[in-house]
Amino acid sequence: MSTQESVVNLRAEIKEWLFREAELLDDGLERTWLEDMVSRDIVYQLPLRQTVERARGAGWVEGTFHLDERYGSLNSRVARNESAYAWAEDPPSRIRHFVTNVRPVANDDGTVSVRSNLLIYRTRQDNVVPQLLSGERHDVLRREDGVLRLLERRILLDMTAIGTHNLSIFF
Amino acid sequence: MTNFTNRTDNSERILDQLEAGLPVGELPASLYGSKEIYEREKRNVFGRCWVFLAHESEIPAKGDYVLRKVGEDNFVVVRDEQGEINVLFDACRHRGVQICRADSGNTSHFRCPYHGWTYDTKGNLIGAPLWKNAFGGMDKSSNGLAGAAKVGSKHGLIFATLDPTAPSLDDYLGGMGWYLDLVFGLNEHGVEVLGAPQRFVIDANWKSGADNFSGDDYHLGTLHKSVWEIGAFPVSFQDNMMGYHIQASPGHSLSFSMAPNDDEPGPKFFGYPERVAETFTSERISEDQLNVARRSRVFVGNVFPNFSILALPMTEDGANFPPTAVLTIRTWQPVSEGKVEIWNWFCAYKNMTEEEKQRSYRAGLGTFSMGGSFEMDDTEPWITVARTGRSTAAEVLDFKLNYQMGMPGIGIGHPVDDWAGPGKAFWTRYEEGVQRNLFKFYLGMMKAEPGQWPALTFDED
Ligand code: FES
Ligand SMILES: [Fe+2]
Repeated sequence: MSTQESVVNLRAEIKEWLFREAELLDDGLERTWLEDMVSRDIVYQLPLRQTVERARGAGWVEGTFHLDERYGSLNSRVARNESAYAWAEDPPSRIRHFVTNVRPVANDDGTVSVRSNLLIYRTRQDNVVPQLLSGERHDVLRREDGVLRLLERRILLDMTAIGTHNLSIFF
Repeated sequence: MTNFTNRTDNSERILDQLEAGLPVGELPASLYGSKEIYEREKRNVFGRCWVFLAHESEIPAKGDYVLRKVGEDNFVVVRDEQGEINVLFDACRHRGVQICRADSGNTSHFRCPYHGWTYDTKGNLIGAPLWKNAFGGMDKSSNGLAGAAKVGSKHGLIFATLDPTAPSLDDYLGGMGWYLDLVFGLNEHGVEVLGAPQRFVIDANWKSGADNFSGDDYHLGTLHKSVWEIGAFPVSFQDNMMGYHIQASPGHSLSFSMAPNDDEPGPKFFGYPERVAETFTSERISEDQLNVARRSRVFVGNVFPNFSILALPMTEDGANFPPTAVLTIRTWQPVSEGKVEIWNWFCAYKNMTEEEKQRSYRAGLGTFSMGGSFEMDDTEPWITVARTGRSTAAEVLDFKLNYQMGMPGIGIGHPVDDWAGPGKAFWTRYEEGVQRNLFKFYLGMMKAEPGQWPALTFDED
């Protein structure tokens, strides 16, 4: 297989993976997502961002987060949403993940780094003005027993103050 | 039925209803949504009261600054060359342009982007381009940035007020100071913030946060029922309702979860790890304060108007980590009558290890943050409180909200007279006097003439 071909194949495989993930999350199948697609070693982070002068970079604040999850805490969140008292998501939000600009790179250790752009469209009850969350995801996927799983996710949102009433959703 | 003839002074009508309703525990729902009320709050509450802006550990070095809000307005909180903290209105003296355009940073001066007037970190005007040609002969000293009228700090918590007639910070806090001591002053090291604050904007009224953190423990059993299902909090709902409700002084209220007996097992000192709790002494606080802290499973309170504090044992992952103390401080920053920006900081005692701080931080993020198992449910009802508040129906029907829990003859909450600290104390947390206290002082501020202050102690009351 030429390098060209393997790049094309990888891109197709990763896109497929990301689209399946988006479908599970949009359909509210969070348990399936967690069990089928997420590594037990996951580090899942949504870092905190500030407006800073250009010389200081993009404003990511070292070591601070909106979400800083591991498998156990993600499992707690999924379990919470499954309980009969998860008011925040019952009735559930309507959520659509738009995933574009998928850019995978194969790493020497066999993992795949992938950057993708993400737009989440969310409405609650009879909202006509949606909540929009735009950002980039920096993921690392790893093959575990032949199955690609999410090992790292950094969600880089394009906002400092977050304009949604909670983060009960998954990115 | 409501009299609609005088539409221009709707706020006065709602405040009169509040005044009449407080003694019987009935508050007009329109408080939570009326535009006129909000306009009046901006001047009478946020334009006059001491408000929380930052923690000193956010700006440790000379020149460090953060951009914060008093009401809707931006103020720069900056440490100057002498190490003093200044609170400066973010508006150039020349045409009023914003002079600080970053949320935080370090600088020796602020330069206005419009014509280049430049100020030092005390707010003094130090120059402008081609000074001689443009302003030669003009007095610099009277053209500095405007500052807050007063700035004060307690346990590193920085407050400011825009009103020169305001009492001192200590007098304003009154009895609340005693309780801040036993949360923030448990050892000689004190606390620091764990990073920059989270900010999120929701379609709710700012008072819902203040009301909730004044001591709404009762909602845990319904709204937060899921946290017990996932093992995030170690005290059962019923047990957690045991404790004290305290009206520390007019406006400032708080609530403790405490076992009926001293020697009951369960979390002590809000769940701080034993190693840390061993460093808690009566060096900076009284024996009584230390004892109260020792017995406390949960502390939750609100400094009028919009600064709230919560300390309690939590875990984001009950299967893998035992609960540990989370200390969050937050402001309910008003944006409009129907929008609030929540600012949320996590704090830790400085003598905690990196690992202990990380544990507390992660437990906090997973529970009391916008992605946390507790907090994500809170915003949901507050959105509809605001919707009810701005509704025509609430106005036309004279719709009243019930604030009667713990009033004489209602429920089991009752006053106690052997409480060690200042203020009015009630046993069991089935009680809403804490919130009536918030709204009584609020009413006083809303009705006060410029320069006048409502009673700051229960004695003058
Ligand atoms: S407005 Fe600031 S220099 Fe003119
Ligand atoms: Fe709550």
